[in-house]
Amino acid sequence: MVQFSEDKLAKVNEIIARYPEGKQKSALLPLLHLAQENFGGWLSAETMDYVASLLQIEPIEVYEVATFYSMYNTNPVGKYVFEVCQTGPCMLNGSDNIIAYISQTLGIKPGETTADGLFTLKTAECLGACGYAPMMQLGKHYREHLTKEKVDTIIAECRTAAAANN
Amino acid sequence: MGRKLLLEKAHVEGIRYFDVYRREGGYRSVEKALKTMTQDEIVEEVKKSGLRGRGGAGFPAGMKWGFIAKPEGVPRHLVCNADESEPGTFKDRYLMEFIPHLLIEGLIVASYALGSHDTYIYIRGEYAWIPDILEQAIAEAKANGFLGKNILGTGFDCEIYVHRGAGAYICGEETALIESLEGKRGNPRIKPPFPAIKGAWGRPTVVNNVETLAAVVPIINEGGEEFAKIGVGKSTGTKLISACGNINKPGVYEIDMTISVEEFIYSDEYCGGIPNGKRLKACIPGGSSVPILPANLLLKTAKGETRYMNYESLSDGGFATGSMMGSGGFIVLDEDQCVVRNTYSLARFYRHESCGQCSPCREGTGWMEKVLLRLEKGEGKISDIDLLWDIQSKIEGNTICPLGDAASWPVAAAIRHFRDEFEWHVTHAAEAQTRNYGLAHYADAIHVPV
Repeated sequence: MVQFSEDKLAKVNEIIARYPEGKQKSALLPLLHLAQENFGGWLSAETMDYVASLLQIEPIEVYEVATFYSMYNTNPVGKYVFEVCQTGPCMLNGSDNIIAYISQTLGIKPGETTADGLFTLKTAECLGACGYAPMMQLGKHYREHLTKEKVDTIIAECRTAAAANN
Repeated sequence: MGRKLLLEKAHVEGIRYFDVYRREGGYRSVEKALKTMTQDEIVEEVKKSGLRGRGGAGFPAGMKWGFIAKPEGVPRHLVCNADESEPGTFKDRYLMEFIPHLLIEGLIVASYALGSHDTYIYIRGEYAWIPDILEQAIAEAKANGFLGKNILGTGFDCEIYVHRGAGAYICGEETALIESLEGKRGNPRIKPPFPAIKGAWGRPTVVNNVETLAAVVPIINEGGEEFAKIGVGKSTGTKLISACGNINKPGVYEIDMTISVEEFIYSDEYCGGIPNGKRLKACIPGGSSVPILPANLLLKTAKGETRYMNYESLSDGGFATGSMMGSGGFIVLDEDQCVVRNTYSLARFYRHESCGQCSPCREGTGWMEKVLLRLEKGEGKISDIDLLWDIQSKIEGNTICPLGDAASWPVAAAIRHFRDEFEWHVTHAAEAQTRNYGLAHYADAIHVPV
């Protein structure tokens, strides 16, 4: 069952309190981030319904928002999601080669997840790191000035971290 | 070496923390504004400064503040637009990461001037590590009496909250941003009513860019007239430029708007020239939405005069031969870049980011992307170039928000200035798959590598 811990529920209330009384729907985006982080990296229908109940809004109000913003995953994703920017300035600096290299190395196309559930490759539109291109988002942080060697290192890091967690 | 108003202290060690920032002269503007100035005096000072909105539109900030409605008993809000998403633009990120207290300081002064007791920073969701930096700065400011109840004993109360977006370029448009702040899809609203009358939760709201709010600090410290003395004409103060693409030194630069484009690209103080001895082909000087210019029109105007890095000079010649300052996202293309491919990449971006509300933009952006892709792949026809021109002309001006224009302008400018390259992709379809068109009549005549 989808349910925040006591700690997280306190955080939920703190977030709701940032907005005017009766306008608790404003907390939807932050709450969806929190839910995605806590419930497996994606938003299932059950998770979205739960968020709706916390904010006392209709589930459809959550679905329409979750499907609008690119950062919410409405399908399961791998443990590590590589979101590689492909827009203008990154493209000028070879982002296509980086995407192709990751694709080849992991054996997946953009939008796919490896069979072991470890990696998802996604293309992204401008992430605001144009001066440090090519780049990708990995979790909360950016990995910039990507090269094939750097990609290898990142993949190895992820594998090591995943092995350590098991 | 130009004067720096915003980033002068950005690299002082520990400047991210309150104590260091304060020791370096931080938060003086809050003391001055709250203790010695009225709200109207602050607005007047910002008007005198000539500060123009740094998000891209360049609308005079003081005038925007002057529009805010003050109905009795209705709370007003200031919202900081940190949804920096225009391709080529990463200046606000830099400012928030390195010198977050400058933004918080500007926000406190602006909140006081506008009467906002609950102020929000709407930051793009992908900048996921920056809210922690901002929230720490807010907590420090509060612990030191610069935020919270009865700030510095003046009776003014103010809280600042960070609100994270979740990946949508459109939320940089102020009414879409407000919708998103209210927990909805980022669909822009029809104006009027303008946010200054009816904004967040139906209340009077001012939305300002990060850099605009940071610039309030030197304006209050030194006075609007002093600020207006820096720069030239209606381009007052300094401007943050994020430079990227094919240059030796990509990064964020604070410029005084009197330097020439040539100096900005080639001097070691700024971009440091083009790597590997390549020649300059083209540049998008103000973020992906503004018209791309070939080198010859970038460095000099159509009249043959030197082009400068300011609002007026960059737009000299209108869209026929000029461009715009925009958000300051400066994207340089060297001789090896393909304009068709670059235009396709940007068209894909706008298709991805269209909110889908207005049919000209929803349908048109996808259509332009498809046509550009077939031209890029050597599968296009000459008539496709006219088709593209036709589509973009029917999007521009026919949508609720400026995203439609933003999607049209790059396509229009690429065809306007590089039509020969588009045609070559059709007439030399096979060759276009193996090499790029290179330079033509628009080559930079000034800098020929030896």
